[in-house]
Amino acid sequence: MSPVAVGIIGIIILLFTFLLSMPVGFAMTFVGLIGFCYLVSPEAGLSLLARDVFTIFSSYSLTVIPMFILMGSLAFASGMSRRVYDTSYNIFGQLRGGLVMSTIAGCAGFAAICGSTSATAAAMGRVALPEMKRYHYDDSLATGSVAAAGSLGILIPPSTIFIVYGILTQQSIGKLFLSGVLPGLLLASLFILVVVFLCWRRPSLAPRGEETSWKNKMKGLAGILEMVVLFTLVMGGLFLGWFSPMQAGAVGAAGALLIGVVRRQLNWSGFTFAVTDTVKVTCQVIIIVTGAVIFGHFIAVTEIPLILADWVSGLPLPSMAIMGLIVLMYLIGGFFMDALAMITLTIPIIYPVVLTLGFDPIWFGVIVVLVTEMGVITPPVGINVYVIKGIAEDVPLETIFKGIFPFLGALIVAVVILIFFPQIATFLPDIAGP
Amino acid sequence: MSQITSDIDVSEEQVSYPSVIIVRLGKLATSISRWVSWIAGAGVVAMLALTIADIIGIKLFKSPVPGAIEIVGFLGIVVTAFAIAYTYILRGHIRVEFFVTQLPLRWRAGINALVSLVGIVLFVLLAWQSYLYGHILQTTGEVSMTQRIPFYPFVYAIAFSCIPICLVLLLEFIQSALRVVQK
Repeated sequence: MSPVAVGIIGIIILLFTFLLSMPVGFAMTFVGLIGFCYLVSPEAGLSLLARDVFTIFSSYSLTVIPMFILMGSLAFASGMSRRVYDTSYNIFGQLRGGLVMSTIAGCAGFAAICGSTSATAAAMGRVALPEMKRYHYDDSLATGSVAAAGSLGILIPPSTIFIVYGILTQQSIGKLFLSGVLPGLLLASLFILVVVFLCWRRPSLAPRGEETSWKNKMKGLAGILEMVVLFTLVMGGLFLGWFSPMQAGAVGAAGALLIGVVRRQLNWSGFTFAVTDTVKVTCQVIIIVTGAVIFGHFIAVTEIPLILADWVSGLPLPSMAIMGLIVLMYLIGGFFMDALAMITLTIPIIYPVVLTLGFDPIWFGVIVVLVTEMGVITPPVGINVYVIKGIAEDVPLETIFKGIFPFLGALIVAVVILIFFPQIATFLPDIAGP
Repeated sequence: MSQITSDIDVSEEQVSYPSVIIVRLGKLATSISRWVSWIAGAGVVAMLALTIADIIGIKLFKSPVPGAIEIVGFLGIVVTAFAIAYTYILRGHIRVEFFVTQLPLRWRAGINALVSLVGIVLFVLLAWQSYLYGHILQTTGEVSMTQRIPFYPFVYAIAFSCIPICLVLLLEFIQSALRVVQK
C-alpha cells in the first residue's frame, strides 16, 4: 500500500475514533503511533513515542500555556471579571440593550487577561446573566450574547489557540497576539451593532437599565484600572522584548495573584481552584498538542501535506477561492469538533497549502481563530453554549442556540472583512517589526 | 470555568455489579490520581515562583536564577504527566461526544469499554517505552546543558504517571464491560 493510502486510511480511522468519543489527544497519539510503526518500523515508532512525549512535556516554549491559563484563572478568582463588568455597566447600562452591550465590552476586557473562550464565557456569564434576568432581558438574547462574546477570549490576546498555532507553525506568539487586537475590537464592535439592531427592531427584548451619572461613570473606570495596567505590563513587556512569552504569562499570573491578595478577594480556596483549573486545562491542551505532533510525524511520512499543497496550487482556481474552501472546511469541522482539536489536526496538513498559495501565516492564524470561534457557539458541539447552559440551567439549550445566530452573522461579516482587508490583522505585527 | 463532574463511580450502590474489588479499585485509582495531581499543582506554583525569581534576578540584580529555563522545562513534565489521570476523571480531556450520546446505553457502554481498552494499550506502551528510554539515558549519563541535571528521573516520572491513568482506564473498562453483559 502506498504511504498516501496509509495516510488517508489513518485520517479516516482517526475521525472514526473521534466519533467513538475517545479523547482527541489519545486518539491522535494512538493512530499516529500505529501509522508510523506501519510505515517506518515498530521499533522506530515505539521509540518515537517515548522521545516525543518527553520532548513535548519538557518543552520550555509550551510552559507559556500554564502561565497564561493561571493568569486568567487567578483574575477570575480575584473578582476581576466582576469589576470589568461593573465598569462596562456604568458606561452602557442605561442604553436599550445596555446590559448585553456591557457584557460584550466586559468579555472583550476580560479576554485581555484570559486566553480561553469557555473561561471568558463562564466568568462573564456568572456575573452578567443574573443581572439580565433581573431586568427581564430576553433569555435568548442574554444567553446567546454571552456565549458569543465569550469567544472573544481566543481572539483578543492572550489566546491559547494563538499559542498552539504559533508552536505548530513556528510563528512568533508575540506577533500572533498583536494580530488579534484590532480584529478583536472589530468583532466586539460588530457584536454591539448586532445588539443595537436587534433592540431597535424589537425593543421588548431588552429594557433600559438605570441611569448612571458621568461622575459615577468616571469613578467606575477605576474598576478596570488594574486590568489595564496588567494587560499593558504583560503585552507591552512582551512586545518591547522585556519578557519571553512564558515570562510575560508568569508576570500576568503573579500580577493577578497580587491584585487578588491586595484587594483581599483571593482566599485559599480561590487560589487552589485557580491552580487546579490551570493543571486541568494545561494537561488538556498539552495532551492534544502531543497527539498532534505524533500524528503530524505520521502524516509527514505519508507526504500527504506536500502532495496536497502541490495539487491545490495546480488547481485552476484563484487562491482566494481555495482560501474560501479552507474556511468552509473549518466552519463545517467546527460544528462537530472542539477548536483546539480541529486546529491541531488540520494545521500540519493545511498549513503548507496556505504557504504555497502565498498567504500571510499571521493573517491565516487570525482567520483560523475567527472560524473556530464560530465552532465554539454552533450546534451540536458549541462548547460555550454548554458552559452558559451550566450557568443558566432554566434556559433550554435550543433557546441559547437560537440566540447565537445573529452573532454568528457578525462573525461571518468579520471573516469577510478580514479577507478583503487583511491589514486589520497584519498592521500591528508589521509595525512591531521583526 | 468548566464544570467539574466525576464519571468514575466508586460507591457500591452505583456499581452495576457490586463488588468489593471494583469499589476498592475505584477508590485507589481516584486517590492516587488526586494525589499526583496535587504534585502537578505544586509544579505550576513552582514554575511561577521560579520564573518570577528569575525575572527579578535578571532585571534588578543582573543575575538570573541558574538553569531556570531547564528547571521550568522539567517542571512542565511534572505539570502535564501527573495531571493526566485526574483530568480524565474530571472528564477534562477533550472528546467529541455528540455521536455516542445518541446511542442506546448498552452500545455506549460497549464503545466506552473499547475506548478504555485502547487507552490502556496506549499508556502501557508509553510506560514501557519511557522506562526503556529512561534506562538508556541513565546508562549513558545524559544531563542538561547548564545545570547538568540528569534527564532520566523525569523520563521515569512519565513512565510512573502512566500507572494512575491505567488504573482509571482499567476501572472504566471493567464497569463498561459489566454494563454490556448486564441484562
